Amino acid sequence: MVALARKTLVHEWRRFLPAILAVGFASLLQLLQAALVLGIFGSASVYITGSSADLWAGYPGTQSVNLGRPISEDIAMRLRMDPDVTAVEPFRWVDADWRGPRDTGGVSVFVSGIDPRPDGMMFSRALPPALRARLKEPGAVIVDKADLDSLGVNIGDTAAINGQRVRVVGVSSGLRALGGVNIVSSLETARVLDIAPDDAGMMTYFVAKLRHGVKPKTVANRLNGSSAFGPYTVWTAKEFARESQLYWMFDTGAGAGVLFLAGIVFLVGAVITSQTLIAAVIGSIREYATLNALGVGRGSLRKVVMEQAFWVGALGLICSIVIGAILLVIARARSVPMEMRPLTALACLALSMALAIVSGLAAVRSLRRADPASLLR
Amino acid sequence: MSFMTQTSAAITPALQARGVRKTFVSGRVHSTVLHDLTLDVHAGELTLISGPSGCGKSTLLAILSGLQPADAGEVRALGQVLDGLSMRELEHFRLQHTGFVFQGFNLFPALTALEQVELPLSYMGLASGTARRRAVESLEEVGLGPRMRLLPAELSGGEKQRVAIARALAKQPELLFADEPTSALDAANGQIIIDILHRIARTHGTTVLCVSHDPRLVGHADRVLAMEDGRILSDHVPPASLAAATEAKEPSA
Repeated sequence: MVALARKTLVHEWRRFLPAILAVGFASLLQLLQAALVLGIFGSASVYITGSSADLWAGYPGTQSVNLGRPISEDIAMRLRMDPDVTAVEPFRWVDADWRGPRDTGGVSVFVSGIDPRPDGMMFSRALPPALRARLKEPGAVIVDKADLDSLGVNIGDTAAINGQRVRVVGVSSGLRALGGVNIVSSLETARVLDIAPDDAGMMTYFVAKLRHGVKPKTVANRLNGSSAFGPYTVWTAKEFARESQLYWMFDTGAGAGVLFLAGIVFLVGAVITSQTLIAAVIGSIREYATLNALGVGRGSLRKVVMEQAFWVGALGLICSIVIGAILLVIARARSVPMEMRPLTALACLALSMALAIVSGLAAVRSLRRADPASLLR
Repeated sequence: MSFMTQTSAAITPALQARGVRKTFVSGRVHSTVLHDLTLDVHAGELTLISGPSGCGKSTLLAILSGLQPADAGEVRALGQVLDGLSMRELEHFRLQHTGFVFQGFNLFPALTALEQVELPLSYMGLASGTARRRAVESLEEVGLGPRMRLLPAELSGGEKQRVAIARALAKQPELLFADEPTSALDAANGQIIIDILHRIARTHGTTVLCVSHDPRLVGHADRVLAMEDGRILSDHVPPASLAAATEAKEPSA
């Protein structure tokens, strides 16, 4: 079989280049956009994804982890009573104001008060045990190294949170927050920093670890069944992380923006690609008509055009994957929050291939002009 | 008329048109291009249709070759009625039985001469080895054996038309249609093309129907039909061809 589609693509690459670039750019934009969205909104749930807890118990109806309210200590009791719960740990969230030693003005910070024990669940993925142990010192805090500049401190410096003296004892990565700066301290330090009078001594969440092999969803449902210990809701970690991310995505309007932009990118890409493919078909219309005169069916000619569309799509995708991977590595090295999951990448690539195929279908329509009788005039 | 017509009449004509009419409508103007035309084209002959432009000769070629339907009348090709066949059936008929050579060469710029010829063969369902062998043979027959690896951009106009002929010939069609095959060529190249078409009719027994107003072709045709205003004015055997044919057939007669 003579590879007409591929040979034409290679021979007339200049003609097909705009289409390949259009698919490539569309694909790259979708990939980067998805990576940024996952990265940025992923940090909304860093408290959950950075920890090893299976269940989260908090104020009823809390829509995002940063919106927690104080809950009663009794709920910790309720959690401990469940036979499948092996450990319960408090988590204290304090919205606070930071004053650094350098002239940075006020910075809005989120203080996470955690249990500094080495086997603690909170931030177990973001903090190595040695670093964690340093939180035991009163007034000790840990920040993300990318936040040092905006806080105006270096390791070892002292600063003030809500007017109380704190000292930066170390830095970590993967602690960046959305809409502010994350500060990690011990529960004791957090209690000192919390100046709101009404929730003195009250925790914001209780997180729990389950026996190995137990389904968190089942336990969460069971725990949500009773309200004898006061109002609360129990989420699985996965659920709560997802809920927090979605809250940010739609609360900020970013979700709609992302979908809108994806639509625009698809449309512009499809217009350029289909026009290029149509021009290529029209450019060879007499040859196609000759093949049809010789008895090569319209279906076979359509296949040639669709094959070209496929190769244009494939080449575009390869370009976008290579450039996208390079940009992702650069972004990671510079602490830009970018995150890519295989399924998301696959969806972006599939969307871009769909763009090429839709453009191919548009180009197939112009094959109607391949009328062999027109060659006789 | 003579010896030729008498012997040919004994066999079934390769192409038959009975009362064929074709009218084109543009706006409110109806122009009839073919007026109830009746014609037999005999197998194994080079038949030339000549006439001024607009006389309907190309339309007649399109109808006889199954590229266009007639408005009225009946067309038979190789004994098969073409009227009423679906587009797909007509494509299949053309794939199996016909070859075309057009005024423009219509070669894919990306393919070598060999690939141009192989391309339609692969759609005929031939094995790649068979297709390759047939393509090489056809290109050798039109004298392009040494140049079969070249792209159209590297070939002269006459060579391109020879590739186009090889592309039609490799299908081993019973019917070969040629529309003004020499108009885009200079005298020498035109002559080469004429000789090849003539030889195809002689050696392969192919029915060659050629539409042209090129006077050089007249001497090489077995039969010349002169058309004007959608009608056939005259139907004759050119003297040169008659002499050659008689000469050629005498030993066997």
